Amino acid sequence: MTSVADDQPVMSFRDVVKVYPLPAGDVTALNRVTFQVDRGEFISIMGPSGSGKSTLLNLMGCLDTPTSGDIYISGTRTGDMSDRDLTNLRRDRIGFIFQYFNLFPLLNIIENVTFPMMLKSQRAVDPERGREVLRAVSLEEPLFTHTPIELSGGQQQRVAIARALINNPDILLCDEPTGNLDSKTGAGIMDLMTELNRKGTTIIMVTHDQHIADYSHRTIRIADGRIVE
Amino acid sequence: MIFWEIAKRNTKIHLLRSTLAMLGIVIGVVAIATMGILGNSMVLAVSDSLRTVGDSVIVTPHAGGSSHGFGGGGGGATSLKITDQQFQQIKRASAPNVAIPVLQTSDRMEFGVGQDDIVAAIYGMNPDDVPDLLTLTAGSYSRAASGCLVGAQFADDNHLNVGSRITVGTDGDKGTLRVTGIIEERGMAFDVSTDSAIVVTKDWFDAAYNRDDYDKVVVKVKNLDDLPVVKTAIEKQMNKRDKVVDVMDTRKTMETIFQTFGQITTFVSAIGGISMIVAGVSILNIMMMSVTERIKEIGIMRSIGAQRREVMSMFIYEALILGIVGSLIGGVLSLLGGYAVSSLLLQTTKYLFVPSSLVSIVYGVSFGIVVSLVCGFYPAWRAANLNPIDALRHE
Repeated sequence: MTSVADDQPVMSFRDVVKVYPLPAGDVTALNRVTFQVDRGEFISIMGPSGSGKSTLLNLMGCLDTPTSGDIYISGTRTGDMSDRDLTNLRRDRIGFIFQYFNLFPLLNIIENVTFPMMLKSQRAVDPERGREVLRAVSLEEPLFTHTPIELSGGQQQRVAIARALINNPDILLCDEPTGNLDSKTGAGIMDLMTELNRKGTTIIMVTHDQHIADYSHRTIRIADGRIVE
Repeated sequence: MIFWEIAKRNTKIHLLRSTLAMLGIVIGVVAIATMGILGNSMVLAVSDSLRTVGDSVIVTPHAGGSSHGFGGGGGGATSLKITDQQFQQIKRASAPNVAIPVLQTSDRMEFGVGQDDIVAAIYGMNPDDVPDLLTLTAGSYSRAASGCLVGAQFADDNHLNVGSRITVGTDGDKGTLRVTGIIEERGMAFDVSTDSAIVVTKDWFDAAYNRDDYDKVVVKVKNLDDLPVVKTAIEKQMNKRDKVVDVMDTRKTMETIFQTFGQITTFVSAIGGISMIVAGVSILNIMMMSVTERIKEIGIMRSIGAQRREVMSMFIYEALILGIVGSLIGGVLSLLGGYAVSSLLLQTTKYLFVPSSLVSIVYGVSFGIVVSLVCGFYPAWRAANLNPIDALRHE
């Protein structure tokens, strides 16, 4: 499923600093952050608002680059990569799951799920692969040709998870994946993620909710731009 | 692929907005193409009228200088003539091309008992020269002094046929002529405008009007490339000291006329072009709106692996859809517009389907597509260069 060697961390941060230059003075969002995520781990990241969680998530998702320090994704150093290479890294190695699902309203469910696959292959893809992944996240078959707006929140999040998995990424990055769901549906999504992790998918999840964080094996707590635990 | 599909669906889902943007392009294309068709049709119509006179050099007495003519001394423009001696000089200068001296006047004419008399132009020419200048549709070239040729329009208006008689002069004092031939329609002409005139022999003209000098000399140039050479040779010969004659190269004059029509066509098309620019601004506006509405979607696309150029292509496709559909509809409507303006302003649609008119539609359609593309480019570039983090945070 992954292209990274078993003994190599899927992700590692070494002395990562992120400073935002502002007119009122520089703001250090992350200060010498070091950690690593091994293959097959299920990690939650917790911290109060303004602690640096979003900055950390953006750096882990290769949406941003650090001011100093090194970030390695599946052994690849991201600091010197071009926008094009970072985009390809996101497409091939990272699966994103957002709080608000963020499906494309103009595409149906199968098209939403196979979208990253189309980006990778640059041509039309076999929808059967999309159906296969949608079945794996337990979405009912009759919904496959619907549009996102016709689905419930829980169903939409399952589609988003299927989209994140379609290119067999090394890591699933989840930003409050149950934050917009009721507790019962949220529990269903967390059961699905636990099942995916049990099958080998590495998951990093940002959450405010300790109950949700309890599904993970390890919690990284962050405050004032530093890892505190 | 998928970005083309998204562009198509986005255009369809915002049908009213897309239609309004396309309407602007439709109007722009129709304005440019219809004006182009009208201008070209006007050029062709004039060209048809002047087609028989593009191979001549016309020599006339210089109106601003002294007259050496037979009737000289009066100083009036009507007394300016070319003498036989001057004609011989012109003939030598323009050899081996044919120089045709022409006499011209106008007089009263009657066509039979009980009919009103009219005033019409009379041309006097040597019978030998007539076939070089005029073509007949009926009858024959007459060498008899009392024979005459009549213009097609003249014959039609006055119900004349070969054999009809025309009495010339007040109370017929100049004599009676018999129609021996009908001259083919020549349209507007710089040399001799015979459509509503009669052509008599030089001998009859001399006898009737007591004149043997000429009003003009028409030089028919065999090789069109020689037109400027002939013109220069005559000017050199005749205007050595004083300017005695004016020499007009009809092809040059026609070129000037067509050039002027071309400029008018360009001008009116440019006015059409302004409406296209307005349409382009409308596309720019709508595309900017589309980008603003979809900032979050762009952020999601970029975060899951869409390259900048792919995001850009999606918006370019959208602008292209608006431009191509709008321009093609405009192209079809331009045919109707061209038909309408040709019918109303030129009273004919025969120039509508000629290639030089249809090319105006191609220009209009191409311009519509290019304007849409150019106006879609900036919003697309802006979308592609959004910061994915900021775009994801956008609500």
